[in-house]
Amino acid sequence: MLTLARRSPVQRPGPAPAHSEDEVPPSFVGPGLGIQGALEIDGEIVISGMVRGRIAALRLVIASGGCVEGDVIAHEVVINGRLNGRIFAPTVSIEADAEVEGRVFHTNVTVARGARVSGRMPWRPISYFENLDKLPEMRP
Amino acid sequence: MSLFNRSDKSAEAKPTEVKPADTKPFDPKTIDAKPRDVTVQPSSQTIKPEAAQKAESAPAKPVEPPRPASAAKPIPTPTPMKTGAIMASVISKALKITGELESTEDIQIDGQIEGDVRGVGVKIGQNAKVKGTVYGDEVELAGTIEGKIESKKVILASTARMTGDIWHQEIKIESGAYINGSLKPELGKAETRTTPKPAAANTPSVSPVSTTAAAATAH
Repeated sequence: MLTLARRSPVQRPGPAPAHSEDEVPPSFVGPGLGIQGALEIDGEIVISGMVRGRIAALRLVIASGGCVEGDVIAHEVVINGRLNGRIFAPTVSIEADAEVEGRVFHTNVTVARGARVSGRMPWRPISYFENLDKLPEMRP
Repeated sequence: MSLFNRSDKSAEAKPTEVKPADTKPFDPKTIDAKPRDVTVQPSSQTIKPEAAQKAESAPAKPVEPPRPASAAKPIPTPTPMKTGAIMASVISKALKITGELESTEDIQIDGQIEGDVRGVGVKIGQNAKVKGTVYGDEVELAGTIEGKIESKKVILASTARMTGDIWHQEIKIESGAYINGSLKPELGKAETRTTPKPAAANTPSVSPVSTTAAAATAH
């Protein structure tokens, strides 16, 4: 299902995965679009609308006004909107307008002044994310 | 203008004022206006130019890639914001969605969707695949749908591959389009979903089952 870990260029800075990422134009969920269900992207997705369900992406941006309810797996997550659910990402940046509720599993996290975060933010080594070949629903 | 000026002012003022007024409208405006209009017209046509913009934006990106995703925090964020302001939703080819989409705007789909899509203008690209019902005011199909289309206006491009029924009021089919199913022009006359066949089949699961059954009986 989630082929993220296999293809993940988490620690490998090889050029090949970077190219495959950038060939694909980012998906965009507009403000008027609501999605209910699972999203799997081998690339980047920007969400300004509403998503209920899990998201697996290389890079996820929740733009301000965007709202996600569900778990998120990505290499990088940038949040400027609302998120209610767990984040599994080596790199997480929570911007000033963000509202996050849930656990944030991370290796590197940035929280901007003004962001509202309620929940724990457990640190995990990068190897933890490399081994995530599916959403660890039962894991802490 | 020139008439008023003549009456008000002295004879000397006439030629100087008239000349610039005559020259201005002729040369630059009329000549410039034509090409501008031509460029404007395609942009007003639904989503096509947006697709072109995407195509342009895609090659532009490879300039940035050397930075891995983790390193490029500030730069990629503004680009999606810009695109967000300009264009409607885009489901790119790398995206696979299992579930339902509901939109009050136009959607461009190039990825894979298993589930129903509801939008205003729905454009389904060549490599896109949708399993489920596509509802809209205008549906443009260049890819594959397995399921059903319910839309006032339907356009099937030459690369379209449609398996299932099409409920419509208006339809355009380009030569080369593949259709396996029936065309039902009575959209809106009988309520869309309460078709006799799905009702008889009473399958709770959404489109694929009922439509395949309908398609089978149609043949």
